[in-house]
Amino acid sequence: MRRRQHSQATLPPAPTPAAAAAAGPLGPAVTGPADLEREAGVARLFELHYSSMLRLAVLLGADDPENVVAEAYYQIYRKWRRLKDVAAAEAYLRSTVCNLTRMRIRHLQVARRHEERPPAPADEIVASAENTALLHDDQRVLLDALQHLPARQREALVLRHWLGLKESEIAAAMGISRGSVKTHTSRGIAALTQAMEARR
Amino acid sequence: MTHRDATPSRGTGPDRTDHEPVQPRPPGADRTERELRDALRALAGGVQPDPDAYRTARGEWLRRERRRRLVLTVLVAVVFALATLIGLWVLNQAPANPGVIFNGDGAAAADGPSLPRRLP
Repeated sequence: MRRRQHSQATLPPAPTPAAAAAAGPLGPAVTGPADLEREAGVARLFELHYSSMLRLAVLLGADDPENVVAEAYYQIYRKWRRLKDVAAAEAYLRSTVCNLTRMRIRHLQVARRHEERPPAPADEIVASAENTALLHDDQRVLLDALQHLPARQREALVLRHWLGLKESEIAAAMGISRGSVKTHTSRGIAALTQAMEARR
Repeated sequence: MTHRDATPSRGTGPDRTDHEPVQPRPPGADRTERELRDALRALAGGVQPDPDAYRTARGEWLRRERRRRLVLTVLVAVVFALATLIGLWVLNQAPANPGVIFNGDGAAAADGPSLPRRLP
């Protein structure tokens, strides 16, 4: 994985689109003022939310979080003109990251099922060793149990307890009703509690 | 389009308040929630983004966008060329001899019998 473990707090400021267009080899793709505005908007979004989206993808169990987040940004880059409210871009990104991660995990599960080799150990879907190296045993067990929950329950718990979103925001991000959010959260916590009680 | 899971669940109907629990909370749920928050925070704290992420991602966006436009342009050109060729072929199928509307010369028609005219 390409993530770095050194103590870097934030991303460096993204280059301005005009400078990037002039300097980069792919510059001629940015031509009109609408393109420049789109570039500036996406660059601002990248600077503001890339770290949190990357962490969200990691916590949701994506095996290639950088690609998932880059794909989410590409989706918003493509649909920039149809985006009515720039303030809604964060929620759109969050929702896209959730959907892409879920699709990616499902794809990997199907691919593994159809492989001729014996199935990979379940530990592979847990976050990589470099990320869990600093965790306590209890935390590692808890995250292991979290990764074995159904995708919807995992998403609801991560959005609730890491991002601290409200039920309505979680429902919007996951594309489900508020009642389903409550159900997934409750069942997920019950399963985690059971796993931790079994350990204790 | 997002799929909305509208399947009603027990205890999650619209008449229930937000503060009412869906299921009876198992003992130790509060502790699990606290530990889960700590674990998620610890795991997220170990994730640091690549400083070149924007440059890499932007290059990929522009490459894909350029390829998309190229494919679209080629598709439009192919459709236009096909439509032009079909039009030319259809026009080429028309008969070469003149139509019946202008058949014959005007002098022969003038010499022929005419209808009787009403006299004043």
